[in-house]
Amino acid sequence: MSKDFGNISGRAWVFGNNINTDQIIQGQYLTLLDYDEMAKHTFEIPRPVFASKVKENDIVVAGNNFGGGSSREEAPKVLKHSGIGCVVAESFARIFYRNSFNVGLPLLIIPNVGKLVKDGKTVTIDLWKGTLTIKGDGDVIHGNPLPERMVEILRAGGAVPWFKKHS
Amino acid sequence: MGKTLAEKILASHTNDGKASAGEIVEARVDLLMVHEVLGSRILPILDEMNFKKVWNPNRVLVVNDHWAPASDINSAEIHRRNRNFVKEQGITNFCDVDCGISHQVLPERGLVVPGALIVGSDSHSTTYGAFNAFSTGLAATDSALILATGEIWFRVPETLKIVVDDEIPDRVMSKDLILKIINDLGPDGANYQSMEFHGSTIDAMSVGERMTMCNMTVEAGAKCAPMPINQDVKFWMEDYAPRKKWKEVSVDADAEYVDELRYNLSDDPLEPTVAPPDLPTNGKPVSEVAGVPIDQAFIGSCTNGRIGDLLVAAEILKGKKVRDGVRLIITPASKATYMEALERGIIKILMDAGGIVTNSTCGACVGGHLGVLGAGEVCISSTNRNFRGRMGHHNSRIYLGSPATVAASALKGVITDPRSV
Repeated sequence: MSKDFGNISGRAWVFGNNINTDQIIQGQYLTLLDYDEMAKHTFEIPRPVFASKVKENDIVVAGNNFGGGSSREEAPKVLKHSGIGCVVAESFARIFYRNSFNVGLPLLIIPNVGKLVKDGKTVTIDLWKGTLTIKGDGDVIHGNPLPERMVEILRAGGAVPWFKKHS
Repeated sequence: MGKTLAEKILASHTNDGKASAGEIVEARVDLLMVHEVLGSRILPILDEMNFKKVWNPNRVLVVNDHWAPASDINSAEIHRRNRNFVKEQGITNFCDVDCGISHQVLPERGLVVPGALIVGSDSHSTTYGAFNAFSTGLAATDSALILATGEIWFRVPETLKIVVDDEIPDRVMSKDLILKIINDLGPDGANYQSMEFHGSTIDAMSVGERMTMCNMTVEAGAKCAPMPINQDVKFWMEDYAPRKKWKEVSVDADAEYVDELRYNLSDDPLEPTVAPPDLPTNGKPVSEVAGVPIDQAFIGSCTNGRIGDLLVAAEILKGKKVRDGVRLIITPASKATYMEALERGIIKILMDAGGIVTNSTCGACVGGHLGVLGAGEVCISSTNRNFRGRMGHHNSRIYLGSPATVAASALKGVITDPRSV
């Protein structure tokens, strides 16, 4: 566990409501066996520039129901592979929520966050406190605490190391 | 306090026999279905886990359905890996590329029975709720853990009760009903919840019609959709799972629900419903979108590619011709469906009308092959998702409707009310 989930800081990429997994990674790329190749197509439909501009520890901020649709684990995988440090949304679709923690990508639910953060701003996440701070504004926005099971999985580094510890 | 179907079925799969909404439980899975995601994503995770043997080779179904037969070199490699895994592990239930779509072949093989707990590596695994089962979609990592142990944790869902009474009119289908219901709920209206359908309409439905309903509950975010058993499910069990032991699960009269929706189709008659792009929950009466020109009409998928769907299309298309410039593509949900349609003369009617009948696969629905859309093209489709780019180019547009609406639209070249042809 090298990652400091208490201090994830980067550019906010802001999206609207109902960003489904087809928008995160389209079905036509699912047969690619190499995540480096696949990650080049992350958010290709809603934000074509994303894959070439995203940096390590950047943050995805979205409205409600982020990650609906197909169960594809490739969706959180390509986000993590692209360097995304955390996805903050007003709500998440259930399979995406579970998949993200399984692959070690942290998620945070913050009411109204999609309206409070402007695209391109630098934001800092403290996952354990459940907060998002907007640089310059100094505003600290509070979200929902993570469920205990998700904290366990995340601290272990994902569902596979978590499973190894418990089996 | 009484229990919902989801609570009862989950409880019967835990060590202490308990499961109440909101709790986290460890549950034993009766069957795991995996498709191409096995070869592409699960096998690397199993390597990481130092996996040796599947927990029970008789409780896994492997299906090569999404790109069947292989559409490119990568999918061919994935299929090859799946075949090898099935052989190495001695897995008894395998459907290769000749077989059909997972959600159709699983019940055809008698692998779902009332009261079962089934997980699939596919979001539309809610489909088996039609058989009075708890079934849900997970993805690669959870599937890998189930392959190793036969167990997985669940958060027990709250349940939304939906009661539908009275008759669905002629040329209106269960697809129209579920499009209307999820329109009322919105894309996350049932997020994390079990959708439990009741009422005389649901009770009178065929297995196929029920599967369409349960299939699309995930488009409102539902985790599962176990239905009370009905007569047609009992007939199905006699035909397809005659040697399996099972016991129906009934709901307690005092079960606790988060909410209840009621539909009375006598007071408020159901109309053909079409969901314009880009959300399945965009459904509106067909009259509001009638006249939109189409390039492609598609009948198929785990939602509406079954014999009843092909039959309705054939009734509408018999002795007529698809409008010039429109492609009508029909992809039966399984080989068995295809064979039955052949024997009953349905395939001939569809082809005489100008339709293209493909082998059984997820194919066009996932933008895989056999009906991919080009830039700017419009498709009326009996499938489940009209997300941007779902069936091909990101500037193509998908309208979801029933097989009857798709067939009628193919005849006219524009979105058409199936009651008008």
